[in-house]
This record gives sequence, C-alpha cells and structure tokens, in this order.
Amino acid sequence: MVKTADKIEEEIRAIFSGDTPWVTIVWDDPVNLQTYVVYVFMELFGYSKAKATELMLQVHNEGKAIVSTGSREEMEHDVARLHEYGLWATLQRGDQL
Amino acid sequence: MTATEGFKRHGDHSYVATFADSEKEVLLNLCEQIIELLAERQDHGHDDPLAAMVGITSHDSPPEDEVLHRLLPNAYADQVDASEFRRYTEATLRQKKQAHAISMRIHLKSSDDGTVDLDHDNANAWLGAINDIRLALGVRLKVENHSHEELELLAPDDPLRGVYAVYTWLGWLQETLLSALIDDADEDEESQLGNS
Repeated sequence: MVKTADKIEEEIRAIFSGDTPWVTIVWDDPVNLQTYVVYVFMELFGYSKAKATELMLQVHNEGKAIVSTGSREEMEHDVARLHEYGLWATLQRGDQL
Repeated sequence: MTATEGFKRHGDHSYVATFADSEKEVLLNLCEQIIELLAERQDHGHDDPLAAMVGITSHDSPPEDEVLHRLLPNAYADQVDASEFRRYTEATLRQKKQAHAISMRIHLKSSDDGTVDLDHDNANAWLGAINDIRLALGVRLKVENHSHEELELLAPDDPLRGVYAVYTWLGWLQETLLSALIDDADEDEESQLGNS
C-alpha cells in the first residue's frame, strides 16, 4: 500500500511539474537484422537514415538505446508499435535510468 | 521454376518478387503456423465479453511458451506495470501481428504464377510477418547462445539444420525487400531536401 501511495504521489508530481520524464528503450537482439532495425526507426519515428543508423549502432554496440522521449502515454504507444514490428522495447521513467 | 531472386523495386513504391512453387509453399506454411500461434490464448475461459470486445483480457502474465514470450514481450521491467499494460494491449498486439501474416498469406495465395507485387503498406506487413517468423525460428535455434558458425556446422541429419536454412533464407529475403524500400526512402528524403 505504501508503495502504491508513493507511486501515485510521484505520478501527480510529474503531472504538475510539466515534465515529460519517460523514455522508450530498444534492447539488442541477435535475430533482428541491422537494416531492419534502421528501417523500423525511420518508418515509425520519421528519423533520417543517418539518425536511425546511429541509434541502431548504439543498440548493437552498447546493448540498448533510448529511441524516443515524451509522456508516459506517448512512450506506451511507441513501445506497442515497436513490439508490433518485433523489436524488443520497454519504457521507463527517464529519471530512473 | 527457378529459385527467387528476392524483391526488386518496380517503379515508385512497388516491390515485386517471384517465388518458385516450393518456396511459396514454405512461406505459406510458415504464415499458417504464425497465425495459429498468435491466436487467442486458450487458458482463460472466463473473460468478460464486453472487456474482450474492447481488447481487455483477464490474463496479465507473460505467455509461458518461449516463442510467444519473444513475440509478445513485457513493456516494463516492473512486473506490476508490465501486467497492467499487457492486460490492455496483448490482444491488440496479437491481432496486429496476425494481420501482417494474413496479408502475406493473401498475396501468396492469390498469386497464380508465384509473383507478388507489394505497395508500401503491404511491404511493411511482409517485413513484420517475416520478422516474427524469424524471431520464432531464432528462439528454437537458440540464436542467443549459438554463433552463426556453430549453426553452420550442424550435422546433416540434425532437423535444426533445415530450420537454420529457412531462417537464413528468410533473412536474405527480408534484406532484399529492405534495400528496395530504403532506396525509395532515400530518394524521398533527397527530393524533400531539394524542395526545401
């Protein structure tokens, strides 16, 4: 119960602070082709080929990359679309990275 | 009929490939299997029908099947958040993935000579479906733990050898479609820059 209350308080604080502290993270996966990951980033986020390639390389070399930031609802939407195309994605608060 | 040369771009936003009968059969078979795999879970008989209509399900735990778990992963590291998200979104995700594979199946079935001609949206559905099939095969092949060199050296009588052959062939096919699509995207990007 205490945990839930804390969470609600946190949530409310985030709403009033006007922050958009959520991020979508894509994790490295041995199956997805590099070209495919680049294409999905271009297609879903409208990123240029250069930016999409940079993010793909970060996922590949560092194991993960933040691919978008925004409100919790926006990040849930992004994660759902990434899952639709088979990328391994999660969302979390940006201040808890 | 000769083996396919993969996808090629034909004019603007049109992507064409011709498959041999045996290739078409393999692809159709894989589509059927992924469609069946993604069908609603049978382990919950008591869903509220109204909730089910709007895509809310009573199950909130990840699928026990390893392949399904990879296709329908958790959205949060936190288990409580992951369960809540899954309850509201898993049914929709299954339907969208199924729709990709169904689209691929329709193109293959409606082609008499093995030729398929995809527009941009169709191409995205094919990419998603091929990728889901590769993810499923990848789990069975334990791609996480085995290098490609190890998989290349599977014994001729190992049934996984055939699975690996299909897995790599699908990767190649996906790559041909991607390079055709990315060529187009590059040109669009250049023409946009030119206009600005």
